[in-house]
Amino acid sequence: MRGHLKVLGIESTAHTFSASLVTERDGVLTNAKDVYMPPEGSGIHPAEAAEHHLSVAVRVVHEALERRSERGSDIDDIDAVAYSMGPGLGPCLRVGAVTARTLSLSTGKPLVAVNHAVGHIELGCLLTGAKTPLVLLISGGHTMVVAHSNGIWRVLGETLDLTLGQLLDQMGRYVGFASPCGRKIEEAAAKSSRYLKLPYTVKGNDVSFSGVLTAAKKLVEGGASFEDVCYSLQETAFAITTEVTERALAFTGARELLVVGGVAANRRLSDMLEIMVTRHKATVKVVPPQFSGDCGAQIAWTGLLAFRAGEFLPRVSDSVVRQSWRLDTVRTPWRS
Amino acid sequence: MEELGDAKETGRQRVKLLYRGAEADVFRGEWCGKPAVYKLRKPLLYRLPDLDKLIRSQRTVHEAQMIHQSKLAGVSAPHLYYLSPPEALLVMEYLEGERLKTLLLGAGLTRERVAALGDAFGRSIARLHAAGIMHGDLTTSNVIINDDVLSLIDFGLAIHTQRLEDQAVDLRLIKETLTGAHNAVSKPFMQSLLSGYASVLGSARAEAATKKLAEIERRGRYARVE
Repeated sequence: MRGHLKVLGIESTAHTFSASLVTERDGVLTNAKDVYMPPEGSGIHPAEAAEHHLSVAVRVVHEALERRSERGSDIDDIDAVAYSMGPGLGPCLRVGAVTARTLSLSTGKPLVAVNHAVGHIELGCLLTGAKTPLVLLISGGHTMVVAHSNGIWRVLGETLDLTLGQLLDQMGRYVGFASPCGRKIEEAAAKSSRYLKLPYTVKGNDVSFSGVLTAAKKLVEGGASFEDVCYSLQETAFAITTEVTERALAFTGARELLVVGGVAANRRLSDMLEIMVTRHKATVKVVPPQFSGDCGAQIAWTGLLAFRAGEFLPRVSDSVVRQSWRLDTVRTPWRS
Repeated sequence: MEELGDAKETGRQRVKLLYRGAEADVFRGEWCGKPAVYKLRKPLLYRLPDLDKLIRSQRTVHEAQMIHQSKLAGVSAPHLYYLSPPEALLVMEYLEGERLKTLLLGAGLTRERVAALGDAFGRSIARLHAAGIMHGDLTTSNVIINDDVLSLIDFGLAIHTQRLEDQAVDLRLIKETLTGAHNAVSKPFMQSLLSGYASVLGSARAEAATKKLAEIERRGRYARVE
């Protein structure tokens, strides 16, 4: 008898298919993944990404189960199967849901539905030790400032159009890179220190990046150096992001800022956030880079928290996918 | 008292810090012998200096414009004394009087007084909205009452907008502040506020705004389902 819960989590909202085993006592045991790479200059094609996921699903799940760090980590040993119900790309989500359903039906273990965004946050809390932080969630799917109150992760500010991840990806794709482009943009930006003016849009607590993208593309079109444009794009977009985060920090009086999501890996952004929080005597906790992007661990860990709080899907037919599923509609009974 | 070193052109006025915000510091001082408020947008160190300077000066100008346009719309707001975009400094009239917050928290407020305050507040907001301005920060701390004159302050988040949703968001913030901080008078106050609002904007447009407000609240409640 183990005496503590063990959950298998399946993530498949976008380009990443990932499976992970977590336990209540040891946290993340395994985190296997395979990432769909679109051809250069293009973004994720949902159907092609789903096809990729289908072709790797069995292997990735096996890897998650086999790379065990304790005895008897096989599929019959788990207590529940968690999957990302949304938000995300429909065809991709369905592969994860089908995988989870199959595992649940063949083992008789209950299914737990997890919101992908909540998954980023809860895994971030586990890995950084943050308790009830103000959260900056920045990825391809989200750009939000979030705080927990009254049983819900609530949105204090968010993007009105593009996410930070989309902004960086679309800039990169414009010059022929393949998504995700964040790393390449960061490398190009590091080679410049020449600021070219770009629109700076903050609306109350919300941000907008579509104007920044259009203006940046025009600069490239007009012959500006790509390095200079990347530098200016980062400086502008990250300052905008830091500013609304600062507003939320001042408003909530939070002492901890947790940064999660794929763009959390960017060094310039975490430097800016670091400078900002010192004025408020707060600290920044950034999720470790290997867990900042989409991964099964975020689903498995949040699934474990939810399952421990008594949540699971009563019938397999409930295991739908929800392409649009805002995190501020998700009950979090594991947090009082 | 401390020196406001940045305000060189103002002759290094001696000022006293009133409030330190996320974006600006607010000081109390004098301007040509009159009591004044100094609002200074501080440099934010995480932003590139050039970009930072540009944004601070743009916002200072924008805030001055919003105050000016609000006055044109018939809303009482502080007179502008001095504007310095390069310093990101705005000097304006210090309004004597009580904050609405203090008044509503005080004892012995008659029913008639609550109704009159709500009505006056509602009319001011309606005049802003009729002019396509959203204040953006309508808490009871940003309303000053002197005799029977109701003035609005802090236009730092004000924007031009024709969206019904934005106007409803203005109303929602008031309602939130009222139920949060002034629960005892919140219902009658809000009722008078909405009737004052409707008397300026007309009942059709006021109804549309309150309907939108209800819709926003429903969204909120949905999110709060436990």
